[in-house]
Amino acid sequence: MQTNIKRCTSCVLSSEFPKIDFDNKDVCNYCRKAEESKNRELTILNSAREKVSKLLAKKNANGQYDAIVCYSGGKDSTYALQLAVEKYDLRVLAFTLDNGFISHVAWDNIRKVVDQLGVDHWVYRPSSTHYKAIARASAVSDVYRKNTLTRISAICNSCISIVNTTALKLALEKDIPYILAGFTLGQIPSNGIVYKNHYRFLAESREESLNKLRSAAGDFVDDYFCISDTLLDRVVEYPHNVNILCVEEITEDEIREKISALGWSSPKDVDGCSSNCMLNTFNNYVHEEVFGYNPYEMELSHLIREGLMTRDEALSKIKDRPEALIKPMMKTLSVRAEDIEHVKWMYEQNK
Amino acid sequence: MDKSAATDALVQFICDNYLVEKEEVPLDKSLIDEAIIDSFGLIEIASFLENHFSIKIQDNDLIRENFGSIEKMIAFAAGKKTSAD
Repeated sequence: MQTNIKRCTSCVLSSEFPKIDFDNKDVCNYCRKAEESKNRELTILNSAREKVSKLLAKKNANGQYDAIVCYSGGKDSTYALQLAVEKYDLRVLAFTLDNGFISHVAWDNIRKVVDQLGVDHWVYRPSSTHYKAIARASAVSDVYRKNTLTRISAICNSCISIVNTTALKLALEKDIPYILAGFTLGQIPSNGIVYKNHYRFLAESREESLNKLRSAAGDFVDDYFCISDTLLDRVVEYPHNVNILCVEEITEDEIREKISALGWSSPKDVDGCSSNCMLNTFNNYVHEEVFGYNPYEMELSHLIREGLMTRDEALSKIKDRPEALIKPMMKTLSVRAEDIEHVKWMYEQNK
Repeated sequence: MDKSAATDALVQFICDNYLVEKEEVPLDKSLIDEAIIDSFGLIEIASFLENHFSIKIQDNDLIRENFGSIEKMIAFAAGKKTSAD
């Protein structure tokens, strides 16, 4: 892990973060800009709060479920699931993508939480061979544009795309009007709190990445990233995607306290930035090697600016990286050090 | 609605959120083709236009003719605003 990194003295963005500059007190331009746009952000957030509350008050009169909750077993999606049931009174189908790397403690948490909340649970496990090929391709090819990866690593981006596509398929098949997820502000911008994943409109914009994934992993990627015309032709209205955590003002400790009532406990076999996935450490490692900064810097910096986390807490999360997990994961995914060097070179060519 | 001010606001939004400079943002080309935004960027821009123009964008408004460039987005949003008023 890189040490002696120059970071903003106010947040944790580092000197390798895209388009960063520091003033004479070593405060970054992102902190200065956040201060300037505070009022505008608050207006957007208040409007999103009203929208979420009005939207989720309307229940699905025609189906078994009001909402799918994308449930990874991590603390944020656990709290999102709890809010969906206890605060919004929704009939929920919890959905977990089993990528084969969810920690044992996280699985225990998942089972306890869905049982405690009394919700139906649907688990989808892609073929292990296919999932590993997708993860490998995401790590060793320039599948995504650099701008897409400022808040997320390439492998996490692929994984979340599979989650989003599968959740949308499920919602369309079962006529479920809402897809809820546990993203927080910092992971997504305030304009992305409520939106519709209008699949055909967005398909064109996904094509470049999909083509790269197909060529690096195989045509089977369509099974995980695409939706059939037969299903899309039936669509009358797309479901709303709602990131309900974004409208909550709550610290990480408070979330842990709330979900502990459901039997949730912190896994010890994952890094400081994840509370469910053992692949995350490798993903962050690749991102740091390729781009020079940790993909969680943006999210953690947002939490610091909002007063929901201290800078020291954020730094300790970034530093909590179980190095022993990296080499075995490289072997599991057949990734060599020179593959990572190569993808770094590819991104540098496309500056 | 002043289209020029709306264009400036949209360009500023794009600069703030997608780490590009004003000079790098074309008004007449697809932001996707120019590698400035990804698919989620389109969703965020649609949401920005709804907030900025106080309009409601429907599913059938989401077509390339309306979102294929900044000029097209502003023309679409302004037209929607006029017919709503």
